[in-house]
Amino acid sequence: MNATTTNPSGGGGGGSCGGGGGGSNSGGSGGGSAGPCGACKFLRRKCVAGCIFAPYFDSEQGAAHFAAVHKVFGASNVSKLLLHIPAHKRPDAVLTVCFEAQARLKDPVYGCVAHIFALQQQVVNLQAEISYLQAHLATMELPSPPPPPPPPSSLVTPPPLSIADLPSASSMPTSYDLSSLFEPMVQPTAWVMQQRALLHNQNLHFGGGSGGSSSGGGGGSGDLQALARELLHRHSASPSGSVPCSEASPSPSLSK
Amino acid sequence: MVNVRCATCKYLRRRCPSDCIFSPYFPSNNPQRFESVHRIYGASNVAKMLEQLPSSLRPQAAETLCYEAESRIQDPVYGCAAIIFQLQQQLHNTECELAKTRAEIAIIRSNGHGQESDIYSADEY
Repeated sequence: MNATTTNPSGGGGGGSCGGGGGGSNSGGSGGGSAGPCGACKFLRRKCVAGCIFAPYFDSEQGAAHFAAVHKVFGASNVSKLLLHIPAHKRPDAVLTVCFEAQARLKDPVYGCVAHIFALQQQVVNLQAEISYLQAHLATMELPSPPPPPPPPSSLVTPPPLSIADLPSASSMPTSYDLSSLFEPMVQPTAWVMQQRALLHNQNLHFGGGSGGSSSGGGGGSGDLQALARELLHRHSASPSGSVPCSEASPSPSLSK
Repeated sequence: MVNVRCATCKYLRRRCPSDCIFSPYFPSNNPQRFESVHRIYGASNVAKMLEQLPSSLRPQAAETLCYEAESRIQDPVYGCAAIIFQLQQQLHNTECELAKTRAEIAIIRSNGHGQESDIYSADEY
């Protein structure tokens, strides 16, 4: 997993949700010769020059992605959010907003918090395993005493996680490799699935599709992965120098 | 009889009906909670999302919506993704530490201390 620094270089195409540089090949502002951006197409409104969404939602697939964003957040809320963010950070913001919107549509109860729970659980499980192995290592390094009998093969069941245990977003580093967001979802452990079953009877799933995720991330995360592929493709295909309607929007840290 | 409005209806300055969808999850003693979700999602979107769910699931949905909204307010660019990144990094570090510990055990075993049980065989780990 990478945590690359966001590269503040010029480049308008990065971070497009299902789209490349804006609503036109020129990467220019909304509207223009290429038609409305995906957002304005979805909203059935005129895409004006300087449309805040145009650089991030192209007229082809951007409309579908914007539909999810609109359904969860609302166009005006996202617009306000983007307006309060520096232009060079907006691609990343759009990506994460799209991610959260997709996750919430796939899992209306937990949204992307399901991802967080699953990751936390994995960390806890691994830490328990490390503790056990380190204890055994210490025993092995001592002369002569026989090793302790191995514990039951299953790891110690960690205490149930709750939303109160979730970390906060404050004091987070500010450089991320957004492509890792869309890597196949970690496989939920049996414990996590049990917890979810205890909470409700529905066959919910992490980040999407039914049946939970198999070793790659469940069917539901297929859309998220498709989004990631599009983003990476667009990012690698878009000219680095193209600047959308707003100020220079440096490409996000999507490159490997 | 005093009808206490929930935080949502107080914020929106409207009457709080007895079947208000917000009132179980946005009590009047925590106005900030609703303000966060309203700022990020909007009251109508939250209402729609809650109405689509069975009532047994709405508390969890409201909690996660609040959590995501507050994360987004704290970090407008990355929101919850920041936490996911942190956990992914932590998971990676933990995996490295686990691999290192297993390697140490394997080394000790190969140096002649390997009389332990088969659960530490390389195949299993």
